Amino acid sequence: MDIIINVAILAISLIIVIKSADIFVDNLVAIGAAFGISEIILGVTASAIGTSLPEFGSAMIATFTHSPDIGVGVVIGSNIWNIAGILGITATYVGLVRSNPRGIARDGAVTLITALILVAFMFMGSINKFAGIIMIAVYGVYLWILVKDQKKESRKNNTKIIEELNNKEENSKESAESSKNVKSSKSSKISKKTIIWTLVGLTGLIVGCRLLVYSGVELATIAGVPTMIMGLFTLAIGTSIPELVVTLSSAMKGLHDLSIGNILGSNTFNIMIGIGVPALFMDIPVEPLSLSFDAPVMILVTLMVLLLIKRGMKLTRTDGIILLATYIGYAILRLFVLN
Amino acid sequence: MVYQKILVTSAGEYLDQMAKEVMELIADWNTEVIGLYVVETSTPILTSRKIKEMMKKELTEKGKKILLDMEEKFKGPNIKFKPLLKEGKPADEIVKIAEEEGVDLLIMGTGKSMVDKYLLGSVSEKVVHTSPCTVLLIRTSKE
Repeated sequence: MDIIINVAILAISLIIVIKSADIFVDNLVAIGAAFGISEIILGVTASAIGTSLPEFGSAMIATFTHSPDIGVGVVIGSNIWNIAGILGITATYVGLVRSNPRGIARDGAVTLITALILVAFMFMGSINKFAGIIMIAVYGVYLWILVKDQKKESRKNNTKIIEELNNKEENSKESAESSKNVKSSKSSKISKKTIIWTLVGLTGLIVGCRLLVYSGVELATIAGVPTMIMGLFTLAIGTSIPELVVTLSSAMKGLHDLSIGNILGSNTFNIMIGIGVPALFMDIPVEPLSLSFDAPVMILVTLMVLLLIKRGMKLTRTDGIILLATYIGYAILRLFVLN
Repeated sequence: MVYQKILVTSAGEYLDQMAKEVMELIADWNTEVIGLYVVETSTPILTSRKIKEMMKKELTEKGKKILLDMEEKFKGPNIKFKPLLKEGKPADEIVKIAEEEGVDLLIMGTGKSMVDKYLLGSVSEKVVHTSPCTVLLIRTSKE
């Protein structure tokens, strides 16, 4: 009976967390816009943190409720699942996921570097405040690069629109309007509704994550498995549902950059912020198996996906099957051999 | 028989190959070509509003580029081109536009593998069964 109740709490809390993260980010963007923060900065930040808030929230709550290992498990487990599981499922299902060299060079390199930074700090025995500051600073630099790139892209698009305007009179009205939209970001007043919804989103996120971590710990106790395992698999896969939805549906629609970019960006956020911020409040202990097995697997699958993509700037169905098989192999080893 | 009004739809892939074959067929015809791109707006449950907006924006941009490309490709002395950008479910919108515009020939690409067809479904297959006019399917192949 306890198992059924806890599984139900887990499922409901996941929905609460995912919807709350959505509401929170939406309204936070509206507040940012009212303060005059540029649309580009808001857009980049919102898409970078949007799908990763459930992992971050779980890691934070786990730290505050003295289960930091579940938090580390969620982050590392999510990163392995994001790459081997989600990209594996997507490439297998859709058959072809394309990428562009610039995106892979930037986001792929940063994802790999952040994974290496994490392992370097893990070697110290625990991830402390100093490591947290470094990680957050590295993420800040990455966001700055993203915003710079987005501004460059936006300028390029503006030039194109102006060229089209000169060439095609019939499109002039529409293009002029979209050109104006790109150039100006109007600041407006913050409505009470926005503030209330931001608070509702934040509260939902906190309550949902608390319930999620609680049910995860309870289920681990009932099943007699370490909480780290719960974090690595159940919570990691659960909190990554937004990534799965975005990656799969964007690949099906042919929006390939969004598909792979979302996974790489999410993995960077998970490590630098998902572990970096909790480390500011408490030393995050490192489980030996996590350092000797989970973290190396995370680096290995990251390297693997980058090498697979590099062959032709795409992931094929065969690549997807290879990635999925790798995840299944990892799960079997971790759950039944090493546990 | 020369068709007076043709609807050509494409999601962008294999457009070069498709346009080449279509132009070989219609180059001398006195006809109106309607180029259609459908922005697919459906998203799975739990997709955030921001992501939905982002997808719609990206697909609209992509659609505009494809229509401009089509305009370049379907040029002929007696060919009049009309671009159309619509939102909705591709198969439903294609059939709806074919009815509204009163086209007498609908041209689209086909060429998914059996696995792709089983997993992703086929727009052309749905259209074939409900189209109000003759349908010409151009066999496309992966590079």
